[in-house]
Amino acid sequence: MATLHLDKVSKSFGSTKVIHDISLAVEDKEFVVFVGPSGCGKSTLLRMIAGLEEASSGKVIIDGEDVSDAHPVDRGISMVFQSYALYPHLTVYENIAFPLRVQKASEADIQETVKKAAEILQLSDKLQLKPGQLSGGQRQRVAIGRSIVRDPKIFLFDEPLSNLDAALRGDMRIELRQLHNQLGATMIYVTHDQVEAMTMADRIVVLNGGQIEQYGSPLELYHHPKTKFVAGFIGQPNMNFLSGIVADVKNDLLIKLFNGRSLKLPVDKSTLSVGEAVDIGVRPEDLRVANKGTNADVTVSVKTLERLGGVSIVYGSHNAGDGQRFCASLDGCAAIKEGENIGLNIEPTLCHVFNSKGQALRRLRVPDVLL
Amino acid sequence: MIRLESLNVGELSLDKLVLNEESFVAGGRKRKRSVLSEKWFAFFLIAPSVFFLLIIVAWPLAETLRLSFMKAGLGGEAFVGFENYQDLLESKKFHQTVIRTFYWMFLSVSLKMLLGLIGATLLNAAIPGRALFRVLIMPPWVIPIAIGCVGWLWLYNGQFGVLSGVGQQLGLLDGPHEFLAHKKSAFYSAVVTDVWVGTPMVSLFLLAAMQGVNRDLYEAAWVDGAGRWYRFRRITIPQIMPVIVTMALYSAIFTFNSFDIIWILTQGGPRGASTTLIVDTYKVAIGNYKFGEGAARVVVIVMLLGVFASVYMLLLGKLLRKYGTK
Repeated sequence: MATLHLDKVSKSFGSTKVIHDISLAVEDKEFVVFVGPSGCGKSTLLRMIAGLEEASSGKVIIDGEDVSDAHPVDRGISMVFQSYALYPHLTVYENIAFPLRVQKASEADIQETVKKAAEILQLSDKLQLKPGQLSGGQRQRVAIGRSIVRDPKIFLFDEPLSNLDAALRGDMRIELRQLHNQLGATMIYVTHDQVEAMTMADRIVVLNGGQIEQYGSPLELYHHPKTKFVAGFIGQPNMNFLSGIVADVKNDLLIKLFNGRSLKLPVDKSTLSVGEAVDIGVRPEDLRVANKGTNADVTVSVKTLERLGGVSIVYGSHNAGDGQRFCASLDGCAAIKEGENIGLNIEPTLCHVFNSKGQALRRLRVPDVLL
Repeated sequence: MIRLESLNVGELSLDKLVLNEESFVAGGRKRKRSVLSEKWFAFFLIAPSVFFLLIIVAWPLAETLRLSFMKAGLGGEAFVGFENYQDLLESKKFHQTVIRTFYWMFLSVSLKMLLGLIGATLLNAAIPGRALFRVLIMPPWVIPIAIGCVGWLWLYNGQFGVLSGVGQQLGLLDGPHEFLAHKKSAFYSAVVTDVWVGTPMVSLFLLAAMQGVNRDLYEAAWVDGAGRWYRFRRITIPQIMPVIVTMALYSAIFTFNSFDIIWILTQGGPRGASTTLIVDTYKVAIGNYKFGEGAARVVVIVMLLGVFASVYMLLLGKLLRKYGTK
């Protein structure tokens, strides 16, 4: 049993407030990912949970106990750092044994615990090597091993995969997720990579400017982003935004794009009025190539084409506004060339609508997905 | 060889492979021409250094070695074989000087390293005005040694010196104590001044090493419950060990050959109580014009330092294996 509650925690460095009254509840055995752009405060928040940074106000509660003023070691957490923080002069064995030696555990206990951790992390044959002799992935495992031996209530990870190459990162994602299932532990993981967040998390906390933008499951964030920021941050490639004007709210919500096309969108229109400016969010994967000779919703001038085999990703500028960047993820074999104009159709039920404050309007016909 | 190079870039097309091969061959021919000229060019570049090294180091060393087999003075030279060395071997006074020199070196270097480490740790701590303290420890190192030593001469003075005065006031001294006039206190006074001059440099080098230690290591240890002393012992010391041992060797050689401080304070006295090998050599060779005997002493110093450095390097290798990263 290991739960975490943050109660209106904030953090200021001098006169600069970097964390604004964040409240959050993490359930037992949950894998929660803090994600957000650089400088959004995700690492600071993690360090506050660890006790490496003191909260300026608010409470950190672990397992019902207020640990706001407790030392890191008394919080029952362990942390894996971005730089791994392995002791370069110690062997893998001694690195993993370090927390146990601090606790003055008996030699027999140390041996048994390190052996067990090494088996879980497939490091048994590397115990006598020093960190400098290991690959990036192996070093990361040693850092995790050092966390495991303390048998913490909560594991904290601070961008642990960002120093690894893309292929290894993919492998480690799977390993970490498996480790989570194997240990059944509560884990909090910080990353700026939304793919890591989507693939690993039970729930994601999207942070922006020291505040929580949204907290929910990966699919909830994907299908029901509450703000334009979350909509633009979650999903790969990023969501496209088209500016439009509300043309009718009496019947269906009718939005007129700047290229003259109108879209009937099934969203809650109760707060909108005619003439109001809105943004329509369309995911690149929800766009379809229009049949030749028909009127397309958007015309895109293809600047760059990425052929990934299964899909073709088109980057270009569109005609429905100020010509800003537009992206579409189309069929892998779509007959498109760089430099040509293509017509794309938008499926209204898959669109997101944001008011002028960037707040999402509730979608009325959401795809039937497991949220 | 060419084939292996080509195989390594196996993803390239066949055309490019052929091209690569051609360019490699062409490059090879070119390189052959440039290797010869490069060799001469390199030699040309180091020639001035070699020339000066020969004049400043090699020739005086060879000359010293030659002189050590001579009875040489202002009146001329005469070959005496190993007589100078034999005299040294049989001289009890010389044996005492050798022992005193090593004692001087170990005492002074140990104190410099210990105080330097404490100083660096304090300067590395997050205390207000840290930058100011870092500047304030510099003077002993940066002011000319002669001027610093004149200051210490006043401090050690029995009639007007602060130390004698404070000692009397505290009841530690019965009357005015001339620190540099007594055999024991003269030696230790010289040690104190040498430590005063040498500690700032050690401190600053160790401080630089401490600042190079990844802060995450301390935070990781803190999360694991390690206290300050544990972190210092198990992280800081091993992490800066290569700098500690290098500084210790560097400092040892400097201290062994330290001449100016002793000469200004005591001139090796009273009655030889603060005479180290280098002071003894100066007295014999320059003071008494016995160049041959002085040269023999220099050769002994070089040999002793050689043996000391070799033993040290062996230990260093062992230490680095223990505290190194591989």
